[in-house]
Amino acid sequence: MTIKEKGYSHWDGEFLIKKFPWWPITRYGIKLTFQRRFFKFTFPMSLLPAVFFLTGIYVSERLEDFPFLRGETIQFLQINPGYFKTYFTQGFMLFIMLMIVIFCGSSLISDDLKHNSLQLYFSRPLKKKDYFLGKTAVIVFFLFIITLIPGLVFFIMKLVFSGSLKFFLSYPWLPLSIIGYSLIVTGFFSLYSLSLSSLSKNRRLVAILIFGIYFLSDIVYLIFRSEFRSHYVSLVSLRANLQQVGAHIFGQKTPYDISWIFSFLVLLGIFVFAGFVLKSKVKGVEIVK
Amino acid sequence: MSIEIKDIHFSYGKVKALEGVSLDLPQGAVGLLGPNGAGKSTLIRILLGFLSPDKGGGRVLGYNIKDEQPKIRRYVGYMPEDDCFIPGLDAVSFTSYLGELSGMPRQEAMKRAHEVLYYVGLEESRYRNLETYSSGMKQRLKFAQAFVHDPKLIFLDEPTSGLDPNGRSEILELIMDISSKKDIQVLISSHILPDIELTCKYVVILNKGKLAAQGNISELKEIRDLYEMKIKGEVGGFLRKLKAMKCKVEETEEGIFKVYWPPDQDRQEIFRVAAEEKIQLRHFVKSETSLEDLFAEVVGVD
Repeated sequence: MTIKEKGYSHWDGEFLIKKFPWWPITRYGIKLTFQRRFFKFTFPMSLLPAVFFLTGIYVSERLEDFPFLRGETIQFLQINPGYFKTYFTQGFMLFIMLMIVIFCGSSLISDDLKHNSLQLYFSRPLKKKDYFLGKTAVIVFFLFIITLIPGLVFFIMKLVFSGSLKFFLSYPWLPLSIIGYSLIVTGFFSLYSLSLSSLSKNRRLVAILIFGIYFLSDIVYLIFRSEFRSHYVSLVSLRANLQQVGAHIFGQKTPYDISWIFSFLVLLGIFVFAGFVLKSKVKGVEIVK
Repeated sequence: MSIEIKDIHFSYGKVKALEGVSLDLPQGAVGLLGPNGAGKSTLIRILLGFLSPDKGGGRVLGYNIKDEQPKIRRYVGYMPEDDCFIPGLDAVSFTSYLGELSGMPRQEAMKRAHEVLYYVGLEESRYRNLETYSSGMKQRLKFAQAFVHDPKLIFLDEPTSGLDPNGRSEILELIMDISSKKDIQVLISSHILPDIELTCKYVVILNKGKLAAQGNISELKEIRDLYEMKIKGEVGGFLRKLKAMKCKVEETEEGIFKVYWPPDQDRQEIFRVAAEEKIQLRHFVKSETSLEDLFAEVVGVD
């Protein structure tokens, strides 16, 4: 059958005025991320800490059934905001988040740059804001699964396992802390990885940058600490700043002897800088070819 | 009129890309011609709202190009010149995805994606990963995504580049089909002049950022009469005198002289000058001006 015989027919439907025009970008981003074999394997592994901490909450309410538990373990199983802080800000958990943004965030914009697809997006009735929201929401989706959702589940399960509202009445602000810190850490990793993704067409290079800058900041911090012996040098470490702000949000003593405000300002500065990079690097057309 | 622009100026830094371009385009297929750097792609990008003009303004499908870009893009399709796709998707997902981004409901975008992929001849390979597509298939796919949302106006940037002769003629057939029978206006930017001549009745020629000519191709061709002649004798003085009469002369590889003669002048002058210069005119024929001749004449290149 020739093309002419098949013929062209007009579409008689109506366009939707979508409240969330960025949603298809998010949906396809999630779908494409799950298509990666390695991610399919690593993502379920990232839920293991949540399972471990949830088990801890269960055990804390049934200590009499676990008589072999002693000393430090019992102390660890004191369920209070510190327990939540430990889950959210431990180095291993931040490392898992980093790995997730490497897998799902590194290619989000760099692939569009590599395959010239930005012009396909922006020839649609989309604004830059929609494009960024759609891409950011992909990372937010995966990070919320290991931050916000487990955090709220821990809180609810603590109430369920204890069979009373005592925990809630003691720490009524804790759900807000979970939501607040989840937003900060997710927002940070999203903008951090997206801005780096907009810098190169090579997703592997972006992955190296995401990983390298995070750990380099930590190495620089360790070098400076041994040299200057000041807590202020912790401000150069991305990990330390996230932990510092996290400790404050969960009402715990901050790990470094400086005001959490400084760390918050550093993170805010990174937010602003990443936003600036994204705005300047993502254009509908490459002007100079 | 679906495209009306007035006095458009645009610069990339100090480089002026468009200077005072005004257009008022009719329905049907319109060719956009010009040498490299003439401002064709810049003009399309301004019409799509990718770039905002420094000066001037206009309307596309009745929407202002400066502040109603999202509305324009909902009803306009765009086929970019460069290879562009989204890795990891097959053709159906890719096309329906872009339909959804245009505002189509999800189910309808999927249904429509199948239809347009059939239309461009990709039905057999619509479930194949795009990374395995040949350049010709990618070209068809770009064409399909441009009208998945059934636009009223389509911008095609070099639609036949990278296609084999068969693929090229099929794409040209599709362009003629949608522009002549389906009431979709098409603006084609291309370097391949025979493609424009085949598909368009109206043409816009840009040169160095300025409008060099616009109008019906048949009317524009009448700017000059074209005569072909074979000459014997010392041609130098003869050609100089013809050029002095605002006439353009070109010599082909076969030794035929093509003379573009202003239609308001009497062609008997050619014979008079030939007699004066003692030249023998051994062959003298009125010829049809092609779009290539017109382009060379207007732009000033061969």
